[in-house]
Amino acid sequence: MLACRQLSKTYRTERGDVDAVVELDLEVEAGCYAAIIGRSGSGKSSLMAMIGGLSRPSGGTVTIDGTDIWRLGDDALARFRNGRIGFVFQFASLLPTLRLVDNVALPAMLGGARSSASTYDKASALLARMGLRDRVDAYPSEVSAGEQRRAAIARALINDPVLLLADEPTSDLDEQTEIEIMDELMGVNRELGTTLVLVTHNLALAEQAEQIVHIANGVLVA
Amino acid sequence: MRGLLANLALQNLGRRKARTLLLIAAVAVGSGALFAGATLMSSIERSMAVGFTRMGADLMVVPDGALTNITAALLTVEPTDLVLDADLVDKASLTSVGRSAPQKIARVEHSGIGSHHDSVDLIGFDPARDFTIQPWLVEKLNRGLQAGDVILGAGRDAPLGSQLLIFGKPHVVYGRLGRTGVGTHERGVFMASATLEALAGAIQGYGKPMPVLQPGKVTGFLIELAPGATSLQARFAILSTLQGVKVVSGDTTLSGIRQGLTSLLDGILVLMIVMLASTALMVSVLFSAIVTERRGELGLLKAIGARRAQVLGMMMVEAMLATGIGGALGVALGVLVMRLYERSLVYNLDRLGVPFVWDDLARTVAFAAGAVVLSVLVGALGVLYPAWRASRRDAYDLVRGEA
Ligand SMILES: Nc1ncnc2c1ncn2[C@@H]1O[C@H](COP(=O)(O)OP(=O)(O)OP(=O)(O)O)[C@@H](O)[C@H]1O
Ligand SMILES: [Mg+2]
Repeated sequence: MLACRQLSKTYRTERGDVDAVVELDLEVEAGCYAAIIGRSGSGKSSLMAMIGGLSRPSGGTVTIDGTDIWRLGDDALARFRNGRIGFVFQFASLLPTLRLVDNVALPAMLGGARSSASTYDKASALLARMGLRDRVDAYPSEVSAGEQRRAAIARALINDPVLLLADEPTSDLDEQTEIEIMDELMGVNRELGTTLVLVTHNLALAEQAEQIVHIANGVLVA
Repeated sequence: MRGLLANLALQNLGRRKARTLLLIAAVAVGSGALFAGATLMSSIERSMAVGFTRMGADLMVVPDGALTNITAALLTVEPTDLVLDADLVDKASLTSVGRSAPQKIARVEHSGIGSHHDSVDLIGFDPARDFTIQPWLVEKLNRGLQAGDVILGAGRDAPLGSQLLIFGKPHVVYGRLGRTGVGTHERGVFMASATLEALAGAIQGYGKPMPVLQPGKVTGFLIELAPGATSLQARFAILSTLQGVKVVSGDTTLSGIRQGLTSLLDGILVLMIVMLASTALMVSVLFSAIVTERRGELGLLKAIGARRAQVLGMMMVEAMLATGIGGALGVALGVLVMRLYERSLVYNLDRLGVPFVWDDLARTVAFAAGAVVLSVLVGALGVLYPAWRASRRDAYDLVRGEA
């Protein structure tokens, strides 16, 4: 389902090159829940960004469902991200000028497929599923950080992605909220069969995963 | 989708109200200056074109020995008993002379026009060659000038089309001239030379014969210089070729004013271009800052699948909306400023002898539309480069918000 081959990322800075990910090979089965763990600065986010089509690799390939995504053109990659991948960032990532429901509906609208009414129905339903039934019309600044993160998950799901990538979606939240959000993510993985790749510092959460990927200094640790 | 992205652009503008207003104001000032400048310039140029053709001739050729009373506007020659042959200037075919218009002037009394003893200047001209009298027509009958028609100076009031008896002979009031400020013009009665010649018998019944009333004789010629020729060249050419004439030149300050106004307008044009360029630069600086500030958002849009064209489009809509509103406001501002200064402008130009006429509405509307379109273009171009650069970058870099 997901395969990384010889995947590398080197950041060129004024003080020399930084090898964030080094010739990494990785495979995740369809419908699987994989957890990526590693110390801060080990290259987890860099890896996720390359898998999610957000950051061009310095070398190697990322293949999702048989598509070598970094060989796609700019627009084709945008469409691929839009339709097949859901990404939950390490930080708050809603557009502040749009209501939660607009934020959730936006990827569907960008894809331009469905009618606006059914899209909004679906967005509301996803928000409700994330426990935000009463906050659909609220603006991001009017809801808590945990609620924002849940809305971001709803947004990641609006186009029924085959791959859900979550980069420390609970990093700055309290324990109770973290558990709730993780429940939602794993529920999606179980109920919808969406492949879930999750970066986390929480080893207890990682242990529930079917596959644990441990990286240090940009390479896999067995 | 269009709606949501446009909505996003609109809300982004609303999010930073002070900055948006400042941007709109800056563009408004630029667009207002452009619109008002263009409208004024075009109006003044038009006024000048009308004004200066009305100013009359550059030189006057009269019989040597004629008394001359030179006024600012070389509109007519002065009455005298001396005459010249009507084909005198033509025959000489001088290269420094552009156009020449022969005129006959008979100063008469007992004409029946006005009160009994008033002396009246009857001025005969060749309608086909005249370039100093007909431009002053402010009203006329809706047909060409015919035999028996007369044109009145501004100081005479008889209705158009009414009958006017001159030495007992009926004439039709064909038109009226505007004010020239010269008394003899304002009380003058103008007609085709043939019409004046037809009066010879009637006039001679009242006094001594007038040689100027004979066909083929004229009082003098009004001369317009050939393009590029100087007054001195023409004068020399005329005096060395024609016998028994003298050359009178008009007020040289007029050409000075013309040149002064033209260079002033050129200056305004340069100023306007500089102003526009600086507005465009300012807008693009502002937008590159706005794009930088909004990198995270653009990255996010890319991350959730917005195509580059969509990201670019959103930023363009935002910029064009703001600058478009600014442009439209500027036009309104320009109209206001022009209304405020209209009086002093009209007064000052009038003192130069240039009657002010506004451009017609269609042109003014075209300038207004041009100013708005240009404003929108400034916005589009200002945002295009920074937005294009940002849209090329990896979504992840944008989201992380580093340089
Ligand atoms: N844009 C960049 N330019 C230069 N170096 C970078 C850049 N982004 C990341 N790095 C470096 O690459 C390495 C990996 O960074 P990355 O963000 O992938 O780590 P991480 O595992 O996600 O860390 P954390 O757990 O703190 O989020 C780090 O050493 C980091 O300093
Ligand atoms: Mg990270």
